[in-house]
Amino acid sequence: MGVESGIKELVERALDAATSAGASYADARYLNEEWEAIDVQDDRVQGVDRGATAGIGIRVLVDGAWGFAGSARLDPSSIDRAAALAVEIARSSQAVKGPSVRLADEPPQTAVWATAIEEDPFAVPLEDKIALLLDASGRMKMVPGLGIAEASIDLWRRSSFLVTSEGTRIDQTLTQSGAGIRALAVGEREVQQRSYPNSFRGHYACMGYEHIRAMDLTGNAQRIAEEAIALLKAPELPSMETTLILDGPQLALQVHESIGHPIELDRVLGMEAAYAGTSFLAPPDRGNLRYGSPVINITADATTPGALGSFGFDDEGVEAQRSDVITEGVFRQFLSSRETAPEIGEARSNGTMRASGWDVIPLIRMTNIHLEPGASSLEKMIGETDEGVFMSTNQSWSIDDKRVNFQFGCEIAWEIRKGKRRRMFRNPNYAGKTVDFWSSCDAVGGRDEWAVWGTPNCGKGQPGQTARVAHGTAPARFRKVNVGVRG
Amino acid sequence: VIPGELGQERLAEAADAALTVGADGVAVIAIHSIGGLTRFASSRIHQNTWREDMEFRVVAVVDGTKMGVASTHSLEPGAVRRAAEDAVAIARVTPGDPDFPGLAPAASFAEKMGFDEATASATPADRAEAVRHALSEVPGTMEAAGYVETVADEVLITSTTGVRAFGRTTRAGISVLAMTDDSSGYAERLERGLSDLDPTSLATRAVDKAERSRDPKSIEPGAYTVILEPAAVSTLMQFLGYLGLGAKAFLEERSFMTGRIGDKLAAELITIVDDPIAEDSLGLAFDFEGVPAQRVVLIDHGTAKGVVWDRATAKKAGVSSTGHGLPPPNSYGPIPLNLRMEPGTSTVEEMVASTERGLLVTRFHYSNVVNEKETVLTGMTRDGTFMISDGRIEHGVKNLRYTQNTLEALSNVEAVGDKTEISTELFFGGSRAPALKIRDFKFSSTTTH
Repeated sequence: MGVESGIKELVERALDAATSAGASYADARYLNEEWEAIDVQDDRVQGVDRGATAGIGIRVLVDGAWGFAGSARLDPSSIDRAAALAVEIARSSQAVKGPSVRLADEPPQTAVWATAIEEDPFAVPLEDKIALLLDASGRMKMVPGLGIAEASIDLWRRSSFLVTSEGTRIDQTLTQSGAGIRALAVGEREVQQRSYPNSFRGHYACMGYEHIRAMDLTGNAQRIAEEAIALLKAPELPSMETTLILDGPQLALQVHESIGHPIELDRVLGMEAAYAGTSFLAPPDRGNLRYGSPVINITADATTPGALGSFGFDDEGVEAQRSDVITEGVFRQFLSSRETAPEIGEARSNGTMRASGWDVIPLIRMTNIHLEPGASSLEKMIGETDEGVFMSTNQSWSIDDKRVNFQFGCEIAWEIRKGKRRRMFRNPNYAGKTVDFWSSCDAVGGRDEWAVWGTPNCGKGQPGQTARVAHGTAPARFRKVNVGVRG
Repeated sequence: VIPGELGQERLAEAADAALTVGADGVAVIAIHSIGGLTRFASSRIHQNTWREDMEFRVVAVVDGTKMGVASTHSLEPGAVRRAAEDAVAIARVTPGDPDFPGLAPAASFAEKMGFDEATASATPADRAEAVRHALSEVPGTMEAAGYVETVADEVLITSTTGVRAFGRTTRAGISVLAMTDDSSGYAERLERGLSDLDPTSLATRAVDKAERSRDPKSIEPGAYTVILEPAAVSTLMQFLGYLGLGAKAFLEERSFMTGRIGDKLAAELITIVDDPIAEDSLGLAFDFEGVPAQRVVLIDHGTAKGVVWDRATAKKAGVSSTGHGLPPPNSYGPIPLNLRMEPGTSTVEEMVASTERGLLVTRFHYSNVVNEKETVLTGMTRDGTFMISDGRIEHGVKNLRYTQNTLEALSNVEAVGDKTEISTELFFGGSRAPALKIRDFKFSSTTTH
């Protein structure tokens, strides 16, 4: 494994060409991403998609302004042209230039790093993977009345080689695996769905096929099919203000949207204003803003073994780190890059710059943004709750351009009354404002209920980039939440 | 130093290496794309990029009904052939689909003029100049952010069944967000050519909105008459397209159109079509299965007329493909990528003048589905939301969350704008919409800005 020497020579050539053309700083990054996606619906294979995309992206600073060019043409003359073009682009930036970009110091790194996997998912015979999905799908379809059964596997291997004009040389290979099943019950006016282990194509990790083998897709197929059908007949969640308990997967997306994105320093500094939006946070909020109640502890940890947002080094060559984001409810730190860290007086990037492909620049992306475990448990939280709702599995999300007002829909909910989980509700959703919501949290589940949930579809930037990130969560309880929002 | 197009011959030469791989049938979708994107924020260029990519997606069919797909992004000799061999290997171990419609037969395609040479060869300096023009309209009391993009694509579909479709297309886009301490204004434009973008007038629009929405006031959520500008209407229409205007959702009864063809779903004033071949759309003359793309009427003066089809869904229903197939393998089914709502006769000024109390909405942010079959969506307003009183724009308001049944909103349309704009890029497409005046549009909560 690792990037072959001929390619490494080409990457070095790109770097030389960029610096010779006048770049004061340059990095060149080769990426070869291989993928395999398998989709099954009912008793049919919808498709098997296998492929690879490889290219080199060259990022330069000329007179304090950025330029970037990426090409899939991996021959010396094309790479020379791309490097020259990156420099020309940086020079064109002078037409509307602001303060010169200054990069935080970073020691040069020389490293070879790879995801630890037990079983290469690409080496597992395709027919075995198809058989697993058809089996799980078939189990769902055996439940009378089920409309549609879906099962899918997604695999990626990203082999990269990063060189910088400061001497960094990093050869890195990430292997990522995910799978999931979904049951859809189709009614006259509504479609209800249940997913396992998570919605939006399942559960993802920086792991090998052992991650998929451990899921027991088939063993959960009948249950989710029955739940999807039961949802069609369940009462709709009434509109009310009540106590809300969220399961881990839903809480992962809540963390993602209302903590993960607002702490991205490029958003805070206005760099994504026109598209993804900005943030309600400002640099002086560090150490001052009460983001949530004292049970809220958030970390950004790119070193969590097996988590989808883990890596050895980011795409600026900064080593993976773990940092405190919120401690006992108080906001501590943003996610930063070598360009943005100095702008708020930080000496060093905390290593979050990642590009989805060779053809795009790295951006500040979430790594693994964890809600650290608390002292409670789901059983205890429900037992202590006189009236409330327990919601599970995300179905829909929406949040404003400063990440304040949010509304989430879940697949399923259960009424809690007198400390017990009771009847099922369909179409559950809830809405709130970020700081109010996290301040209303009075209990977080413990380490034994804590799990890391991969989010493979985090969107940001122009052109749009999709990042694979993750969130460790345990169930948590929130007081006085508006649920059952209707149009 | 900008590398140019590959051209039909070079693309075909690379793609044709797949056709003799030894399968019942082979099709190749070849896409070559070159584009530059210049982003600005805090009134300076902060991200300035260029990319050249190519993809050869090979579809192989064996034993009549077994399909495999493999792709490469390499022009290296042998790469496409290796992808073809991989596609065959995948097909061999994939169970057959008795409903597989086969590869598309040869067809002829309408000529479509969609290529602007100046846009294809636009330089970084050209894009920076457009940014400079836009920023020249932004006063020192405001900050601006946005992008200028130029893209050229070449697409070739070739197959052992005789399909040989080639198209070249360009597009250029610009957005300008003008911001004050407590307000913002936005304008965006997507066209075939860089010269059509008019950065200064667009920036003027954004600045005007930011200026007029200063010191925004909080209002109560509830039902309001709204005037949705084209970008906001596009959001609603794109979701309708995604949720229910494709044949797969229609056949699986997940679509709001299922069982309702011929029913009145919207106001008489509303006609929605998908039209990839219109001169002013950004689409191609063929789809990714190599089928000629057709104009499809989806909602005609409020009445449900039909959905778009690809070859697999058309075979199941015993109809013909309308040329809306996505690149295989495709579990989503056909989706309309070039939606347009037909214009009406009202100007936005007339809509405002006829409104006693209501809201003018520039665009929506981060919308999502609440109930797919009922077409209930939720999302936020942003970048210019205004209170209208007694026929005049009175003041800016803090942003609101809408939670609204889209078909109900389209049934409550009182006026349709006389001009359309393309918004929200989606692959080669984007949707073209007019402004709408809608009564009883529901807002469920507010936010802090």
